Amino acid sequence: MDSPLLPHGVKRCSTWAFFFWTLPWLALLAWGGLSAFLCLWKGLNQTNMSNIFAFALWIVFDLAVIALGAGAFFTGFLTYIMGKKELKNIINTAVIIGFICYSGAMAMLGIDIGQPIRGWFIFWHANIHSMLVEVSFCITCYLMVLAIEFIPIILENRKLEEIKELRLFGHNLHEIMAVFAATGTFLSFFHQGSLGGMFGVMYARPFAAREGFYIWPWTFFLFVLSAIACGPCFTILCTKLTEFFTRKKLVPDSAIQLLAKISAWLLSLYIVLKIADYLGWMYGVVPRSGLTFESFFREGPYGVWMVVAEMIFCGILPAIILMVPKARQNQAWLIIACLLNCTGIVLNRFLFIIVTLAIPVMPFDRFWSYLPTWQEWGIGLAVVGYGFLLFSAAYRYLPVFPKERELNPITE
Amino acid sequence: MKLTRRNFIAAVIGGIAGIQATPLPWKFTDDVAIWTQNWPWVPVPPTGEFSEVTSVCNLCPGGCGIVVKKVDDRAVKIEGRTDYPINPGGICPVGMGGLQLLYDESLRFTGPMKRVGLRGEGLFTEISWGEAFDMLAGRISTQRRKGAPEAVAAIDGSPEGTTVSELVKRLMRAVGSPNYVRPPSICDTYRMGNLLMQGTLSPMAYDLENSDFVLSFGCGLLEGWGAPGRVMNAWGMWHQGNPAKRKTRIVQVESRASNTASKADIWVAPRPGTDGALALGIAHVIIKSGKYDARFVSDHSWGFEDWRSMDGTRHTGFKTVVLEKYSPEKVAEITGVEPKTIVSLARAFAGAKAPVAIYGKGKDSLNGSLYEYMAVQSLNALVGSINRPGGVLLPDPLPLSNFPPMKVDSVAVGGLRKPRLDQAGTMRYPFSDSLINNFTDAINRAPRSPVDTLMVFSANPFFTLPDGGGFKKALEKIPFIVSFSPYRDETANMADLILPDSTYLEKMDDTVWPVGLQYPLYGLSQPVVEPLYNTKNVGDTVIELSRAIDDSVGSSFPWESFEEALKERAKGLFEAGEGLVSYDAGTPAWQRGGDRDKPGYSSFDEMWEAMKEGGMWYRPVGSPRDWQGLFNTPSKKFEFTSKLLVQAIADYSKGQSEKKALKDMGLSAPADEACMAHYEAPETTADRSEYPFLMLPYEMINLASGWIPSPPFLYKTIFENQLLKDKSFATVNPATAAKANLRQGDLVCIESQAGKVEARINLFEGAMPGIVYLPLGFGHTAYDEFLKGKGVNPNNVVQAGQDPISGYPVWWNTPVKLVKV
Amino acid sequence: MKKENDHGKHKYGMVIDIDKCTGCGTCMVACAAENNVSVRADQSDKERTITWMRLYKISNGKPFPHTEISYIPRPCMHCDHHPPCVSVCVATATKLDFNTGIVSQIYTRCIGCRYCQAACPYGARYFNWWDAYFPKKKGLDRYLTPEVSPRMRGVVEKCTFCHHRFMRAKTVAYAEDRREIEEDEYITACTEACPAQAITFGDLNNPDHEVARLIKHPFTFRLLERIGTEPKVYYHSSRDWVRKLADNFLPGEYTPVVNQTWAEEEWSTKPGRDEF
Repeated sequence: MDSPLLPHGVKRCSTWAFFFWTLPWLALLAWGGLSAFLCLWKGLNQTNMSNIFAFALWIVFDLAVIALGAGAFFTGFLTYIMGKKELKNIINTAVIIGFICYSGAMAMLGIDIGQPIRGWFIFWHANIHSMLVEVSFCITCYLMVLAIEFIPIILENRKLEEIKELRLFGHNLHEIMAVFAATGTFLSFFHQGSLGGMFGVMYARPFAAREGFYIWPWTFFLFVLSAIACGPCFTILCTKLTEFFTRKKLVPDSAIQLLAKISAWLLSLYIVLKIADYLGWMYGVVPRSGLTFESFFREGPYGVWMVVAEMIFCGILPAIILMVPKARQNQAWLIIACLLNCTGIVLNRFLFIIVTLAIPVMPFDRFWSYLPTWQEWGIGLAVVGYGFLLFSAAYRYLPVFPKERELNPITE
Repeated sequence: MKLTRRNFIAAVIGGIAGIQATPLPWKFTDDVAIWTQNWPWVPVPPTGEFSEVTSVCNLCPGGCGIVVKKVDDRAVKIEGRTDYPINPGGICPVGMGGLQLLYDESLRFTGPMKRVGLRGEGLFTEISWGEAFDMLAGRISTQRRKGAPEAVAAIDGSPEGTTVSELVKRLMRAVGSPNYVRPPSICDTYRMGNLLMQGTLSPMAYDLENSDFVLSFGCGLLEGWGAPGRVMNAWGMWHQGNPAKRKTRIVQVESRASNTASKADIWVAPRPGTDGALALGIAHVIIKSGKYDARFVSDHSWGFEDWRSMDGTRHTGFKTVVLEKYSPEKVAEITGVEPKTIVSLARAFAGAKAPVAIYGKGKDSLNGSLYEYMAVQSLNALVGSINRPGGVLLPDPLPLSNFPPMKVDSVAVGGLRKPRLDQAGTMRYPFSDSLINNFTDAINRAPRSPVDTLMVFSANPFFTLPDGGGFKKALEKIPFIVSFSPYRDETANMADLILPDSTYLEKMDDTVWPVGLQYPLYGLSQPVVEPLYNTKNVGDTVIELSRAIDDSVGSSFPWESFEEALKERAKGLFEAGEGLVSYDAGTPAWQRGGDRDKPGYSSFDEMWEAMKEGGMWYRPVGSPRDWQGLFNTPSKKFEFTSKLLVQAIADYSKGQSEKKALKDMGLSAPADEACMAHYEAPETTADRSEYPFLMLPYEMINLASGWIPSPPFLYKTIFENQLLKDKSFATVNPATAAKANLRQGDLVCIESQAGKVEARINLFEGAMPGIVYLPLGFGHTAYDEFLKGKGVNPNNVVQAGQDPISGYPVWWNTPVKLVKV
Repeated sequence: MKKENDHGKHKYGMVIDIDKCTGCGTCMVACAAENNVSVRADQSDKERTITWMRLYKISNGKPFPHTEISYIPRPCMHCDHHPPCVSVCVATATKLDFNTGIVSQIYTRCIGCRYCQAACPYGARYFNWWDAYFPKKKGLDRYLTPEVSPRMRGVVEKCTFCHHRFMRAKTVAYAEDRREIEEDEYITACTEACPAQAITFGDLNNPDHEVARLIKHPFTFRLLERIGTEPKVYYHSSRDWVRKLADNFLPGEYTPVVNQTWAEEEWSTKPGRDEF
């Protein structure tokens, strides 16, 4: 039915099959839509957020997807700035995933703030001292950059390509992509960092507070590093997932292996620095506040195990797997390592957000717990549904994988 | 150009793109943001002319001075007055939240009403005042015509001595019913004890501010005892300056680490109901060590030593009994307080310059035990703290004029001859004025309610009586109930007719001698705002009602209005002279000596106007009074052994054995001991193996537990381990909870023989093991969403016993069991 | 009128005497009444109920009958120099006023991102999870004061040291041609309402003010002093266990203030008897 829209020379499932495939994701979107409507109409009392959990599930989702979406700018940087040609085979995937992550995060943030209609006050009444302002500025700009990066891919659609003006426009955009890659890199570096900075500067919350360099707490650099260490892994995971569902090989191993190798080095560097950060914090900020490392985990469901999981199982372990060529060339190990790497980063963000807020600072205050409502889950999962939907559509209608035809010749 | 699909799409897209280049999107973005800043559903309080009105808060008998901030005719904030003797500046949380009681329409009756729904449902329809008066007056007249005016009863919660209570009493006399009943209060216990030991009828006067050692037996000094504004101010004063050089020490005797117990210098925790034994144990140590005030004891007291009656029989005196029966070791057994603590306490108390032992149980809105009070007062006598600065003062009552004598017609005379339903004042309860639990029982026991018409003034006995729900059952039996409450309280919801009073901020009213104050004070409150609704000052209602009944009753109420009646009484204040009507914070009323302004008025009218403006008439505390004629007991001395009690027991024993008589009166002690302070173990019919714990209700200052609803503001101050959603918490010691296999937050059923309630468990180290503490003030079944259905009312579980002699409810001894839900 | 530059001249603060504090909660009620704070039907949801001034109940944790409780009234601390909440605010909706030391909050500018709440260790900031609840049909909007604007949902609010009272006092002073306001002309609603006079309010920079004298006492302390927030709300207690609970201490770090009181008797459990 939609065959005129499909790219040349590739095989796609039937329209009906595609339709049924989209149903669960549409359902997630509908759930999210209802939740969003309730939150905007009735207010944030629809959530279980509170004055203690001022940041909650949504911010965890936001920070997680933004870190995972870092594959976009970093792959762009490697491809266009560092000239890693083999990555051209995966750059489209990275850009689309980045776009999904960032646009999803922006949408969630729009619902998360108490006065969405006044959201633009961030720009109008900007407080330049706030890390969150830097985040907002950079993310907004970077989302535009991602949109611009996405446009040429869209314009490669068979039907759109027939329009001469659009084709020319797309082509010209392609030519200057390096400029946008550079811009994206710059913007991303700062907002990823500022996201970390957001927590590091909360000097009255000893669990998150960090010392640092000039105006930037160490978390600033660690967040950048962790994002570029896990971003490529997430891109790999998404590619592998697509390959799994389409039962096709879509990206040559060279690209995947290169990303994995780079990720391995970055992750190793990150883990080393993160250990240093933990130690510096445990023997600096923490005792200065009159606390000990264990004192943070005296109550509630959280424990030292989270830090152990973050550092060893989701840090050192994937770093080793990715570092060893034999291991990363094994499909199963590669996927496990990428999964662990991504989990580790999400865990890191969770610790900084939820655990920071759950631990009372005043000795006589109590520990609070929090469970999200269905509305919160709805909006969080809607981003997942939106991601699947957009990526599936992109795969179906756009030549996302340049080597797809080559790797999967149609034999009839 | 032809409109093709292509053109159309192009035009739309072009149009949208074009609009982006205009200021329109920017303007819109700005406008919607401005809209969020001015949402129509967010109230914008209108401004206007700012003004202030001074008045007196009479939400409780404490009578703090208040100043109400107004904007045009709206009251917007209540603040404490600094130019009022009771409360220099601050007020309690209930008073602070008072505007919600004025303005929350769903708490209030907006006019006279008659019931249309079922009893308790709270459905009423508005009627005119004329109709309302006709209905009630008709009902009363019918009873009078039937020659049964005693079937008209009144429950009056307005504090004793106030003009409203005098008017209601007068109405009952004029109608001809002896059944004027009051809810219990600590003042009843004070009055009876003072009558027996001192022969005085003036209000309790503790000179706290001048004391250097306050030994408080259960008084919730920080929970709202006495005049809270005064006591908390004293608390601040006691803690002023260098803690090492503090003058006043405070000891709290209470079973639970309440605010007072925790904040006091020493906390002593005897088992509930054993305070009297502890006091006597202290007395034992003082007597034994010879540290008592021998001069006071020998010159001004009687019954300390053994004595002989007219017939020559030898009787044991206070000293002998205390020395024999209340050694620290024995007292330790009864109370659970260590002997060395008792000894230290006694030494500290007797060694202080101006010690005072004060008595109460929580706030003043619940009665105490007669013998406990006598034990505490005996301590004051032992150390000579009676009629001494810093101790217990014995001032004259307020010199208010009496109302003119009234004519009691023959119907009324007949009715007044009938016995009171509650048996107060009979041989069995010779010194009691009113026993509401007996009143309830009398109705519940009779096949048909002996009360035909019940009028309820300023009281919500349905909610406040510690009777396991007995009063509610009685209400169901009474054919006709009239409530004069301004609020839609539980009792009013049972009523057939409502003649609503105005709230305290809409009317003139008086406060008579706040509980425990050491100097006479008469407070006069002013209407702060015009009545918001079709309500009437209950004083005026009573006067008008009397006229509506018949001329005979009406003739006893010669006043044009309630204000006239107030004025008439206040004349006595003028005639007595030397009363001050303004206050200078520089010389507090409790301070002796110092320069003071002269009264500054020369006629009654001048004084009245000044009182209306200032809200007060008072006399600063004076020097101790002459001993001559001070005590009006048979011996004209302070009586450790009360001769009135000796006589009363003898009277009651006539025609039966003394032993049986004593047992009837609730006494287990021999006759000699029964006439003085002694310890009586509270009795219970419950099987303690089945009901192993004791339930003890407790009061909080930040929750109204009397007839006034709590302003919703107060719920902000309630902790989440006191109330969570609709469940209130029972506080127990962790050890007790562990025995019953209960953990923090568990839902339990607290069951006594009288009833059961469901609450959550709150573990608290400061709770005495074996006791379940339930807060009073929760568990309303009336009012609106702020108060209704929040928590449980411990009164529904209380299995009240009877205090020996006095007959007042013993609400502190309810055996319960805990069943996990 | 020439605008005066009072930069750093005044520093308003308060001292709360925990020994005097009776835990009655009048300060909380006075605060809510003064500042048009919304009162919802369920106030037991302490995570979402708005209480600019909030009482914390603390306990010495000892077993019966040595248990002792106390209360810590907690308004906004109005941290000095670099309040944790101010620098993080995205829309400049909260500021430290250098003329008064008051940390302000502009409700109409706040976008409700709640970063300030996350940054504040005292829990002094409250988000409006619901629309203000003053039902017209009940008439509860009638007691609202025009001096403080009720807040819309979705914004953060907090104690302002009754800033409108400062403005009121200033207006009076200017009308009387004075540039300065007296100590008792500007006090917060909680200070005024406390029946035990446990709260003292004034200019910490003015040596004539009582607060300036009180903060020098060895029994005076602040909450979480070590973190460096520099609160302008001070506390005062003669009890060591109370002072110790005000901050986090590693073993051996807390040095009790030596005090000799009358209660140093064998049977006392009170001040000076706590071993730490």
